Amino acid sequence: MRALEKLWQALDQRLELAPLVEFATHKEVPSHRHSWAYYFGGLTLFFFLVQVTTGILLLLYYRPTAEAAFESVQFIVTRVPFGWLIRSVHSWSANLMILSAFAHMFSVYFMGSYAKPREMTWWSGFALLGLAMGFGFSGYLLPWNELSFFATRIGTDMVSKVPLAGAWLLKFLRGGDEVTGATLTRFFGFHVAVLPMITAALLGLHLALIQRQGMHVPEKLAEEAKRRKPIRFAPNFMLRESVVWLAGLAALAALAAFFPWELGTKADPFAAAPAGIHPEWYFLFMFETLKLIPAHVLGIEGELLGLGVFGLGGLIWFLVPVLDRGSRTGHRTRAFLVLGWLFLAYIVSFTLASMAGVFK
Amino acid sequence: MTDRATTAALVITLAAAAALAAPTRTTVGAPGKHAEDSCVNCHAKLDDARLREPAAEANSDIHHTQGVSCSGCHGGDPSSDDAAAAMNPAKGFVAKFRPQAIPEMCGSCHSDAAFMLRYAPNIPTDQLQQYRTSKHGQALAKGDTNVAVCTSCHGAHGVRPPSDARSPVYPTRIVETCGRCHGDAALMSRYGIKGNEIAEYKKSVHYAALVNKNDLSAPTCKSCHGAHGATPPGVSSVSNVCGSCHLSQRERFDQSPHKDAFAALEQPACESCHSNHAILHPQDSWIGIGDKQICGSCHSAGDGGATAAGSIAAVLGKASSAEAATLARVQGVERAGMLMDEANVKLEEAHQAFVMAQLEIHTASAARVEAQTKSVLNALAAADKSAAAAEAEIRYRRSGLFVSLIVIAFAMVLLILKIRAMER
Repeated sequence: MRALEKLWQALDQRLELAPLVEFATHKEVPSHRHSWAYYFGGLTLFFFLVQVTTGILLLLYYRPTAEAAFESVQFIVTRVPFGWLIRSVHSWSANLMILSAFAHMFSVYFMGSYAKPREMTWWSGFALLGLAMGFGFSGYLLPWNELSFFATRIGTDMVSKVPLAGAWLLKFLRGGDEVTGATLTRFFGFHVAVLPMITAALLGLHLALIQRQGMHVPEKLAEEAKRRKPIRFAPNFMLRESVVWLAGLAALAALAAFFPWELGTKADPFAAAPAGIHPEWYFLFMFETLKLIPAHVLGIEGELLGLGVFGLGGLIWFLVPVLDRGSRTGHRTRAFLVLGWLFLAYIVSFTLASMAGVFK
Repeated sequence: MTDRATTAALVITLAAAAALAAPTRTTVGAPGKHAEDSCVNCHAKLDDARLREPAAEANSDIHHTQGVSCSGCHGGDPSSDDAAAAMNPAKGFVAKFRPQAIPEMCGSCHSDAAFMLRYAPNIPTDQLQQYRTSKHGQALAKGDTNVAVCTSCHGAHGVRPPSDARSPVYPTRIVETCGRCHGDAALMSRYGIKGNEIAEYKKSVHYAALVNKNDLSAPTCKSCHGAHGATPPGVSSVSNVCGSCHLSQRERFDQSPHKDAFAALEQPACESCHSNHAILHPQDSWIGIGDKQICGSCHSAGDGGATAAGSIAAVLGKASSAEAATLARVQGVERAGMLMDEANVKLEEAHQAFVMAQLEIHTASAARVEAQTKSVLNALAAADKSAAAAEAEIRYRRSGLFVSLIVIAFAMVLLILKIRAMER
């Protein structure tokens, strides 16, 4: 114990850590009937950490070339000790991270936590969700199986509809005109270097803002939060968060053991696209919507129109802290509440309908 | 006889000869260049649809597109715009050919190797010769005009090469083409043919391969009977016909005691067990002397053949059941998420050996069939071993999960108790 104390003193003298400890011990989390929503951000962070850990372990064996990618993943899940578990946990954790991030985003939205002074937290969170989806899109191709190959071909083809820069963007993403080994190497680079670097910076900012500004309490719950005794961040909230993380870990372990992530068959670029090609579930609502739009609407290409609408929708969602002027004074506009519910209903209904095969 | 009478007799004789034999090739253009003549120009404008049709089909006719004009077959003068001059019998014009004249007329070019070299050097030039030996050709020579001539199968106008999917002799269409006559039981009864051959063929594995898998190499009528020299294969030639594709089966059959026995009984080889047109997918259950089993048609209980059939059926049955059981086991493990590539390779190996065992049935030797089924069982044992290892791995993973879930649940309970104690 003495040695630890000495170490602490040595570090404190040099880094002045005492104020940080002081901050942590005095930091409080408001307590009200919707305090459960505060755990989603932490749960997303937990899944992200699992991704980083398992991702690094996969890197030890994965080979990012069209010739070897599929075989290396096959090797990981069949020959490497616990490789099946690591690969399965990585895939499941990716999906649970996106799910948790969506839950976090909607809970923040419905509690109006994006309002001033937390606009930057909202924007950084929005960007982090976009990055998470980018991780998903780039990682989907890496096993180089039939489903991911053709889904990537369709997915990347959509960017070619972007006016002016479409052709250039397509080439930038694919590393050529077609999805080839060059695309795989490129996506691998995005997945393990570019996206993690940006994510680390943004995540640092996002967490720093939360620590700096504290948890937001919705106006309607302010009275209740005042009446109740707040939860101390350290150690009470941290322990509670640990329980949630352990539940997440248990879910991951059970999913990985009972539903190991399938590998499929190796991609054959010269084969015809098989039936039932679809992207990851979190892109399904956009995928199905684009399929429903007629080829041409009022002289505009259907896919271009669809992408334009999604772009506009995303922009509105991003700018909600600015557009919802009432939120700045704590009185959020009803229209934005309705917009949130409509958006949620659209995403959930289209995703579930697609999974149920309604659009086939 | 006066000069005028002599001239008239000469004209009539020439006209009659032209109607029976092929007209002279009056207009043959350069290969690859579309023929141009007054025939198409005039016929395209006629009111009678029947007369307009040949002109409409000219553009899709291989002859016309290669520079052979209407007059190449019909004679006449295609350079004249005057109908009477263009279709003057004195210039060899024949409006409609008698069936007997058609093979000779087509053969006048198609049997000329030097001439065909200019247009299609790869196609044979013995069609007419073959036709004359065919049942159709022989009957035609005897004056039977109901039999097929060239145009019956290839069409008269709008003739397309057999490689064109729209041609009536394209592999997927030829059955219907033959069936136009051979599916007519009333017409066929005149020739002692049942007329159910087309319907029977459509039940066969060959037809299924042709239409379901679009396998153009699957045998059709002409593959066994010949196209131009169409004739039913005799008893002695059946195994030759089938054996031209089924080489391994034929080789084994030739080694079997059945070869001499069938020959002595004047019984066709393959057809005796497999039928001729309705060739179904063979079943192992056919082997034996019981009801609906084929060996019983020659063998009876107690004889050597029946004993061999019983032994063959037994070893095949054992291998078949073992294969089904191992396949189900491997698939079960795969459904649980295990990659079973090695087991699948062994299963494939077992199946290949099983097919070889089925092939050995043609030797009628129980020992040879059994030798192959042993290979089946050996490969299946290896697949079973992989499946057993995978099942053990699944049990290990699930028990590992169970233990880790208990540890996690225990940690969660401890944390919750600690939080409660702190916040009390």
